[in-house]
Amino acid sequence: MASTSDVRKGVVIRQPNDLFVVVEFQHVNPGKGAAFVRTRMKSLGSGKVVEVTYKTSETVDIVQVDFHTMQFLYKTGDKYAFMNMESYEQIEMDADFIGDDAKYLKEGIDVVVGLYEDRPVSVQLPTKIKYKVVEAPPAVRGDSATGNVTKEITLDNGLKVQAPIFIKEGEEVLVNTETGEYSARA
Amino acid sequence: MKSMSNWSELKNNPRLKNIYDTRIKILRLIREFFWSLDFVEIDTPIAVRFASQEPHLNPLPITIHDPNGQGERFYLRTSPEYALKKLLAVGYEKIFEIGKCFRDFESFGGTHNTEFTMLEWYRAPGKYQDIMDDTKNLFKYVASRLPAPIRGGTEGGVLRYKDKKINIFKKWERLSMKEVWQKFINVNLDDYLEIKPLKKLANDRGCTIDDNYEYEDIFYKIFLNEIEPKLGLERPVFVYDYPASMASLSRLCERDHRYAERFELYIGGLELANAFGELTDAAEQKERLGKDRELRQKLGKEVWPVDGDFIAALASLRPASAEAIARQAGIALGVDRMVVLFTGAKDLNEVIFGSISDQLSN
Repeated sequence: MASTSDVRKGVVIRQPNDLFVVVEFQHVNPGKGAAFVRTRMKSLGSGKVVEVTYKTSETVDIVQVDFHTMQFLYKTGDKYAFMNMESYEQIEMDADFIGDDAKYLKEGIDVVVGLYEDRPVSVQLPTKIKYKVVEAPPAVRGDSATGNVTKEITLDNGLKVQAPIFIKEGEEVLVNTETGEYSARA
Repeated sequence: MKSMSNWSELKNNPRLKNIYDTRIKILRLIREFFWSLDFVEIDTPIAVRFASQEPHLNPLPITIHDPNGQGERFYLRTSPEYALKKLLAVGYEKIFEIGKCFRDFESFGGTHNTEFTMLEWYRAPGKYQDIMDDTKNLFKYVASRLPAPIRGGTEGGVLRYKDKKINIFKKWERLSMKEVWQKFINVNLDDYLEIKPLKKLANDRGCTIDDNYEYEDIFYKIFLNEIEPKLGLERPVFVYDYPASMASLSRLCERDHRYAERFELYIGGLELANAFGELTDAAEQKERLGKDRELRQKLGKEVWPVDGDFIAALASLRPASAEAIARQAGIALGVDRMVVLFTGAKDLNEVIFGSISDQLSN
């Protein structure tokens, strides 16, 4: 048995009725009360999302998940293909499963995939991903005077982000996948 | 925000810079608000010998040395409340303090940071309802003086938390804890003020609990799962009158001793502040703190003596008239969380310069 300190995004927890993958967790110290961990988790069976709160140090039945580095290959229809870089096996995941993170994917990037009984249960993107800028409108004079210090740029996988006005086409930039924002010049 | 120094992220990301600018403005507006009401800003020690006895808080221990190297154990305060209440006993009537507090063993980010900025204010004489009014007026004062783009323009969706927008210019709600349980889970809290029935209720609702759970633990397990996320989603809500066993430093309600004069403020499901109609009975306070200390011991936590000077300060309070008791009220409000709401920041790390998490990733 594990404890609440092992609960994090992507772990799989066995509850009496089903297996759940943790999609979000947060430590809560209510007012002046004891510490709790509030989780949102998704049923591996039904896909339903539930909220469960544990008291800190409570035992939690965490099942073993194997983490593998996989490279994103391509997208066909609403399937995303990845290659396991250890076994060179290829697996496909549904767009639904990848969710909002899909917009950060670009050919050749490595992600960490959690597998439970050979079935993907979580995908972890790198915190920062490097992209090439394919479209960056030139800065307009007076932009900074009106408080307009950012502009929308388009990256080589189609992702659009707000970036400082000095960024030019052809440059490489880092995007923070936690905030979804421009982070720095690469 | 990993692998980059905090200053560089702040310099390159206009959104984060805007959040930090707003933080500074909010700190200034808070002071202006209290000065406009003739409150006195005071400052009290961060390093204290007799830290709070709150059973579940973990003060950060430090050692202070004299010139000969003789060490004395001190703690970084979890709240300035003892010191502020001592100053009320000195004769100050309206006081506030903005300062750093520390709570160890809490998460780095999300809604916590080990070091955080606390705002506390007290009124003597004063009632906890006065403190609710102050709180509401403070938020409105700050909101109406921040630049329009920050307070959501003219549409008025002023505060943002996660995907929720809360308009603080609408009427604020005041609900008793009993009303809240009735409203959200259809349970009459009067029937669950003892641990035995509450345990049964928790089991019936599918909460896993074991024999080591205190009343408060079970209470919060139900509250956090089923009630808290629904609080203040449309308008801010004061949840008042907690079960007497969770009274802490608050006085019992005059009309019903099963409850205590304690309230918390929730906005968008986020807890912002904790307030008390202050307990001014020295003997009762001494007994409660002694019990808290015993519970700390039982939980295997570090213990220290009850702050005798605090008890002496309470004992010195003289009722204004023979039948009147000394009425005091006060509140502790998390400033970092307030900044999160005003800026729509994603979490505490975005509103704190050099948060624990940022320092660890450098």
